[in-house]
Amino acid sequence: MRQFIKRNLAFARLGIQTNLEYRFNFFIDAAVQPAMTALIEIFLWIALFAALKTETLNGFTKESYLSYVIWSSFIGRIAISWMYEHLMMDEIETGSINAIILRPMTFFEYYLSQLLGYKLVVFCFSVLVPLSIVFYYNLPTELGRLPAVTLMIFYYLIFIHAMSFLTACLAFFLNRVRSFTLVKNFSIYIMSGELFPLDLLPVFWKNIFLKLPFSSGVYLPVGYLTGRVDTELFLQGFTNITYGLMVVLTISYFVWKKGLGSYSGTGA
Amino acid sequence: MVQVLRKYIRLFSILLKTSFIADLEFRVNFSLRIFTDIMWYLMQVLSFEVLFNYTPSIGGWDRYQMRVFLGVLFVVDSLYMIFVQDNVDRFADKVRKGELDFILAKPVSSQFLVSFQKIATASFGNLLIAIGFFVYAVSLIEDFNWYRVFWFLLVLPSSFIVVYTSRFFFTCLNLIFVKSESVQFLWYNCYKLGMRPDSIYFPFMKFILLTVFPMAFVASVPARMLLEPPNALLIVWSVLIGPIFLYLSHKFWNYCLRYYASASS
Repeated sequence: MRQFIKRNLAFARLGIQTNLEYRFNFFIDAAVQPAMTALIEIFLWIALFAALKTETLNGFTKESYLSYVIWSSFIGRIAISWMYEHLMMDEIETGSINAIILRPMTFFEYYLSQLLGYKLVVFCFSVLVPLSIVFYYNLPTELGRLPAVTLMIFYYLIFIHAMSFLTACLAFFLNRVRSFTLVKNFSIYIMSGELFPLDLLPVFWKNIFLKLPFSSGVYLPVGYLTGRVDTELFLQGFTNITYGLMVVLTISYFVWKKGLGSYSGTGA
Repeated sequence: MVQVLRKYIRLFSILLKTSFIADLEFRVNFSLRIFTDIMWYLMQVLSFEVLFNYTPSIGGWDRYQMRVFLGVLFVVDSLYMIFVQDNVDRFADKVRKGELDFILAKPVSSQFLVSFQKIATASFGNLLIAIGFFVYAVSLIEDFNWYRVFWFLLVLPSSFIVVYTSRFFFTCLNLIFVKSESVQFLWYNCYKLGMRPDSIYFPFMKFILLTVFPMAFVASVPARMLLEPPNALLIVWSVLIGPIFLYLSHKFWNYCLRYYASASS
């Protein structure tokens, strides 16, 4: 167990160091990109409320929506994996995975720890931006809920990594599988509530999306933080992630086994 | 001049043919690419359709006008996907591996080859879908003035040029910076400014988006040509902005090439 923790901490450090090597890239990734997204969404919501004759939309005020879009832009960026999924695909496609599977560790944990390490740094750095904005404009945010929200995001990241691992395993069987990443992440973008708060959807779709683990990526943590989601629904998110993880890890296990069986060792 | 134009048209048709053959090699990827773009279109439509369930207008446009705006956005975006995206996405690799040397050594414009060497033929399917959605959206507008299509067609090339050149400016930075992946993502965030109607922005920002950083030309300006009475100043500026930005992009390309130190730079 000590060995396991020690090596995974080393992987996490590797993830942090690799990404901090190019600080300009890191700054854009962690701060500029989500800030731009938030800015555009803020303009959209201000224009929307300007056209409304009422003070609230679906029971929530303009400030509540602005707080939601600011937080969702940042948390949505943290709760997704593009780079490590592409790296895993590259390892399989080019055959450089050989160097990893020969070592006393798993391909899954090697990248999971790197992802978590990197996301931890991004989180610590980028959370300052929405915090400053909501403080400055006095937008609704329940800061006491931030630790629970952080916990959910990092638990959700394990699920997201499992999805990435499963997608990357397809590279054993198919050439050029990057389009799968796009399809998957676009779907997650809609189902997580990053595109718009899920409570704006018709009840039928809202109920379906709330039962899926993806809502634990943005809607539930951001909704809980901004006061639109109660504790009971928020805790349901942890259960959803657990079920999701069980399903995805089981499928991944078999796909990985089958993939390794068909792998020639010289790239897929 | 005519001979040069003929040479480039011939070169372009050869590139189109080779791209199509190369794309057919990966058929699953070919189909998935169309599907991916449909997902992206769906996301854009969905984001506005959901909001219009709660409000009659956003930035002065109603649901039907917003569909026309989205139709224009999809057409311009699919043109960008077909002709530009694959090339600019691979540019960083070409610089790192020194493949740019082979392009610079050829007796044609290096900017042309870098920008249009690979044509994403799979995205022609998306263009058809985008045109279909656009025609459907326009047909839903009551008392639509069909003569406005003329102004729209006049402005459309400028829209494409603005998208192409803005992306190309960011791509050129690969020649200056060692690692500029995030800068490329930054372009996408700037592009997002054009994916929303310009009327939602405050006046100064709208001015910037029409002039210095003309992301309003991605879809807002062409959509205005269809939905609003013609604005002479905007039409003249639309016609001028294409050549101006094309010229500036060429100057910037030549400037950035000074930083290129060949293979393994």
